[in-house]
Amino acid sequence: MWLIRAFEEKVSEMYARGAVRGLIHLGIGQEAVAVGACFALEPDDLVVGGHRSHGHALARGADPERLLAEIAGRASGYCGGKGGSMHIAATDVGFITATGVVGGNVALALGASLTAMSRGGGQVAAVFFGDGAAQTGVFHECLNLASLWRLPLVFVCENNGYAEFTPLSAHTVVAELSAHARTYAMPTRAVDGNDVLAVRDGVRAAAALAREGAGPSFVECITYRLRGHYEGDPAKYRELAELAEWKEKDPVRRYEAVLAERGALGGEDRARIERRARDRVETAASAALAAPFPGPADLMTDVLSRPAGA
Amino acid sequence: MPELRSIDAIRDALRSELARDPRVVLLGEDITVGGPFGATKGLVDEFGEARVRNTPISEAAVMGLAVGAAATGMRPVVEVMFMDFITLAMDQLVNHAAKLRYMTGGQLRVPLTIRVQGGAAASFGAHHSQSLEAWLTHVPGLKVVAPATPADARGLLIAAIRDDDPVIFIEHRALYWTRGPVPDGHDPVPIGRAKIVRRGADVTVISYSRMVGIALEAATRLADEGLDVEVIDLRSLAPLDIDTLIDSARRTRRVVVAHEAVQHGGVGAEIAARIQAEAFGELDAPVLRVGAPFVPVPFSPELERRFVPDADDIAGAVRSTVRRPSAVPAG
Amino acid sequence: MLPDLPREDLLGQLRTMLVIRRFEEALILLQRSYDVGHFHVYIGQETTGVPALALLEPGDVAFSTHRNHGHLLARGADPGRMMAEILGRETGYNQGKGGTLHIASAEHGFPATSASTGGNLPLATGAAFAFRELGSGRVSVALFGDGAVEEGAWHESANIAALRRLPVIFLCENNSLEALGQKANEYPSSTLATPDLTDAAKVFGIPAVAVDGTDPGAVHVAMTEAIRRARAGEGPTFIESRTVRWPGSRPLWPQLATGETELAMAWDRARIPDAHRAWYEVNDGVLRYVRDLLAAGHASAEGVSALDREVRERTDTAVRFGLDSPFPSPETAMRDVFAHE
Repeated sequence: MWLIRAFEEKVSEMYARGAVRGLIHLGIGQEAVAVGACFALEPDDLVVGGHRSHGHALARGADPERLLAEIAGRASGYCGGKGGSMHIAATDVGFITATGVVGGNVALALGASLTAMSRGGGQVAAVFFGDGAAQTGVFHECLNLASLWRLPLVFVCENNGYAEFTPLSAHTVVAELSAHARTYAMPTRAVDGNDVLAVRDGVRAAAALAREGAGPSFVECITYRLRGHYEGDPAKYRELAELAEWKEKDPVRRYEAVLAERGALGGEDRARIERRARDRVETAASAALAAPFPGPADLMTDVLSRPAGA
Repeated sequence: MPELRSIDAIRDALRSELARDPRVVLLGEDITVGGPFGATKGLVDEFGEARVRNTPISEAAVMGLAVGAAATGMRPVVEVMFMDFITLAMDQLVNHAAKLRYMTGGQLRVPLTIRVQGGAAASFGAHHSQSLEAWLTHVPGLKVVAPATPADARGLLIAAIRDDDPVIFIEHRALYWTRGPVPDGHDPVPIGRAKIVRRGADVTVISYSRMVGIALEAATRLADEGLDVEVIDLRSLAPLDIDTLIDSARRTRRVVVAHEAVQHGGVGAEIAARIQAEAFGELDAPVLRVGAPFVPVPFSPELERRFVPDADDIAGAVRSTVRRPSAVPAG
Repeated sequence: MLPDLPREDLLGQLRTMLVIRRFEEALILLQRSYDVGHFHVYIGQETTGVPALALLEPGDVAFSTHRNHGHLLARGADPGRMMAEILGRETGYNQGKGGTLHIASAEHGFPATSASTGGNLPLATGAAFAFRELGSGRVSVALFGDGAVEEGAWHESANIAALRRLPVIFLCENNSLEALGQKANEYPSSTLATPDLTDAAKVFGIPAVAVDGTDPGAVHVAMTEAIRRARAGEGPTFIESRTVRWPGSRPLWPQLATGETELAMAWDRARIPDAHRAWYEVNDGVLRYVRDLLAAGHASAEGVSALDREVRERTDTAVRFGLDSPFPSPETAMRDVFAHE
């Protein structure tokens, strides 16, 4: 979680000074969902993310340098600089793709779960999406289809209460998003999204169901994003009191407290872990920023698997 | 050579690829009972419900599912019942299928085939008759093919399924029942290659799908008037076999592009622009286009008949290219 | 049961149901000698559309689908102009440009008819939105089938309707309870994973009821309440009206599988053959309605027969009108693309 926190804070800093461009959506405050969920999955499971997926990719084991290079548009990035922050793919660690189309990623994950099912090796797919996606038509179609075909898909809903600048209550009367899954006879659970162990347990149970052929399930993680929707968003649509309240529930600090209470985290350990994470991110950032941009020839590559006429 | 109807040739291609490659899976509405025209009839009995899957009416989710499955190792063939309803799946097709390879820097490939049935016939009305291929050829990352014969239907569909990129395979219900010779075996017809179906010296007519037969009809009539027309079947709309087209334009020095889709902004516009840009000095007349008028497809049989270009329209355009340039009408 | 209405209205609704029934049968018969093209009939669902739409006021609107003939006729559309449209004549409601799938008549409160499954749901929601914004007190009815609930457009429309308490009534005619080719499992249809169709609406807090679509009284009750809610600003309602699909609608092209309706089967059970017995005895809502009217003493066998004869004559006239009407002239193909041309 510290790696993600350090990474996202670094990206924020880089963005603020113009070293990184475009639309950046950070997951600060939602680390427990990424880490808890990915911890419950196997390396050969397939994960699909959304526009706020740096943390998901890192939690799957993506290399921070290649990830940062991609966000900074460098040729050494995971996608050769062609995807950017919202379109990360790190297929070597089972993070298939991310997309900026809200709800659209859920359909892609449906396909990944079909592949997993056809392989017959007990793999599952998981998709991260937000509360905003739950209002899209394609989301509804996906719940139906996943349930109908008993696809091995774990729907991980990161309900952070806001879709862009709008609170969930202005988007729908449905307060508990897992209700949609129950409409399609899908098992659901709601967990404290800022409790990494609760998320882990919830996703693990869901993945187990999927692995044994019992089909999809829905895990709703209640969480909060501590920054704006995108970098540069002053988030004036939120009450400061609300932000303060959720800062108290910071997932990283909460887990530190849990570990400390169990005697698993000594006085020095906490600082050391944070420092190591930040050092790693610093190294990655330096390397990423020193790397070259893609060249003009790269513009035309990888449109098709084989160039037309070849 | 044996003969097959187009619709049977299509089924034959699906069957042979289902048998050949376990990663191939068919998805679509009502396909387990053959679909509205019977194209997929019997396939579920032969290959089972895991390979031939009936879907709900959820074009967006089904297209997205197909993309996701293709990106993770399967080779789905999605049927969109009418080309008009590809509109419901455009986000997944344009934003994902076409772009995932590029956006991921080559990590993903999307070996997806999308079968659509398009075109106006039998008065199905404005929502079941459109030819929207111009939208699709306009998107980098998509391949688009439109066979005119049973042999090409089978060969191009096989090629599409074996292709590692998204291919939209456009069928025309007016062509489903036409018979034609098909070679032995199940070889692919290469994507990206046009075919000269009638050699000629005076004017080139470029067309695809149903218009090819209509162009040939016009050519026969014009032969009686002493005009020797070369007819090219594009077969592949994206990528375009521009070399074959330019070569023909240089030989005949007069070109007409004919398609059923609305003329304005159609595939013919791109072809005309390319030919003019590359062979202007060798042309004796501007490149003319024949296409449907700029209206939604009307229902009434008589109106629909006027909507779809016919042999007279093509012959008229050909004659226009032969007159003095100053007498050439707009188009 | 019979709707709680005066006898005159009950008989008026019978008449409308017969208008629809005979119209659709005439169309299927016409297909034998004239290429009508492909179409969808409302046979078997008259007892839903007629009592439901009878409760609307002028100014209320309804948005229908490919299976629209019964809906338009239920609100008083002229069978002759409907037939003309289906035959592509210039006297048709859409001047021959829409055809069977898209018949629209603003005059009768059908602004647009979509053949794209689920496509009319956002339209109906939009009309309701306008009504609410303009404070007109009118209601909008979305008419659709069970298939439309599979479309994402359903979900998005229902969400918005619930969020903004829009005066829209979602009237879902589920005719797939025993549809051929679909598996009998725990779902209402094999392509929807919802245990109960009404759950798809209830999740949005939209009150939802399922009624027997062959029971006009039940339809009347449900629709009355839905309209009341809508006009009172209480928001949308979902009504699932369940019918068994008419055997003649099971094949891709409609066929007179149960023959031309013999109303006498309503009072003379001996006439009922073994083939399709369930249809004649239970599932044909029109025959049931006739039985109920007779039992309540609202009509006699002779009266019903006379009514039917009159309807059949009018239907013949409508068919002739359609066949005799001219086709539109080709220039009309270019008109009405834009509002100002």
